[in-house]
Amino acid sequence: MIEVRNVSKSFGGKKALDSINLTLPQGQIVGLFGENGAGKSTLMKCILGFLRFSGEITLDGEPISSRNIARLSFATNEHSFFPNLTAQAHMEFYQLHFPKFNEKRFRGLMEFFELPANKALRHFSTGQKNQFEVILSLCQGADYILMDEPFAGSDVFNREDFYKVLLGILEPTETVLLATHLLEEVEHFIGRAILIRRGRIVGDISMLELEESGRKLIDYVKETYHYQADRVSKALNELTGEQ
Amino acid sequence: MKTSFEDTLARHVPPGVDGKRELIWLAVGGALCLLYSLSFFIVYLNHYQALFVWDGTARVLNTEAVMPDFIALLGNSLTGFLILALCLPALIFYHYAYHYRDSMSIYLMKRLPDRWELHRRCISLPFCGILACCGAAFILLLVYFGVYMLLTPSACLAPDQWQKIWIAFLGVVK
Repeated sequence: MIEVRNVSKSFGGKKALDSINLTLPQGQIVGLFGENGAGKSTLMKCILGFLRFSGEITLDGEPISSRNIARLSFATNEHSFFPNLTAQAHMEFYQLHFPKFNEKRFRGLMEFFELPANKALRHFSTGQKNQFEVILSLCQGADYILMDEPFAGSDVFNREDFYKVLLGILEPTETVLLATHLLEEVEHFIGRAILIRRGRIVGDISMLELEESGRKLIDYVKETYHYQADRVSKALNELTGEQ
Repeated sequence: MKTSFEDTLARHVPPGVDGKRELIWLAVGGALCLLYSLSFFIVYLNHYQALFVWDGTARVLNTEAVMPDFIALLGNSLTGFLILALCLPALIFYHYAYHYRDSMSIYLMKRLPDRWELHRRCISLPFCGILACCGAAFILLLVYFGVYMLLTPSACLAPDQWQKIWIAFLGVVK
């Protein structure tokens, strides 16, 4: 289980994360939602140890360090692969560093998405790059897969395929933390939704609870964010001077 | 088919960087430094010839003549190696910056279980290059010094040549 306790992070005096408390048990698919700059990426980068922070983040009670970092993988829209290397070379690099690398899953996903194995990644399309980034994170052999807007720039078919594949291949012990804006697309495939706003967790609910209450994820988000449904019509009225 | 040397080299540069090409550039740089250092012989031969005078048709040693100090003849002939060695930290910087170019592969390198992997791949080749520059400069210094001591007639040698080298390199002013 990943435990985030009282984690805060500031950039030049501006709070990016403000006393975040969160637990991620194994075997969940969790959606992390929030507007741009809400702190989703910062939270993930703190978990992975890319940023210094105050507070505590542990993995099964141990601080995250080089000893247990292989249990976490990361897919980001910034891409963390090497553009000059081929997919095959990436597989070899991962096998060298991550003993639990799942070659069978890698080959299966490469085949499913029809990605070329011997072409440098810089020649891939944006959609293919995104697919490859996610494939690597899924095949590393990690227990916790952190995904930060991995489908930015991908078309809807691309994304749909991925959700389906993801649901099909994940082991019961694998956890996915998926930061995205695409609420409606992922609501049927996540088990829990966490809402983050201005660096604070403002909502944390299981999809089962939502279902039982008869609400949709988007309604929960709007409620939590105190979304004013009439703000567009008000603004238009003010702009056009019409009633 | 990659040789084991190429494999080893590939493991000591950032993934996707052409280590062989970097090594070739380093070798070219080293060769140019070596060629430049040969200017020592031109200077030496000029002074060597000045040790002799013509007596009719015979060339005889002027025992009054004194060969300039080795360190003075050496001059800047090994400076190329110093310049090359000083350029190599820029290669270290380039290797680190490579992980932020066109993607953020730094994220992958930072979450490898081997936390030295990133530094090993960024520093190894330039560091070996610096060592090679220092080593080559030292070996050439010894070779040129040997040539100077063996070829210069002992009657024309100024004393304390070896000490004068140390004084020059340690910056001690007599």
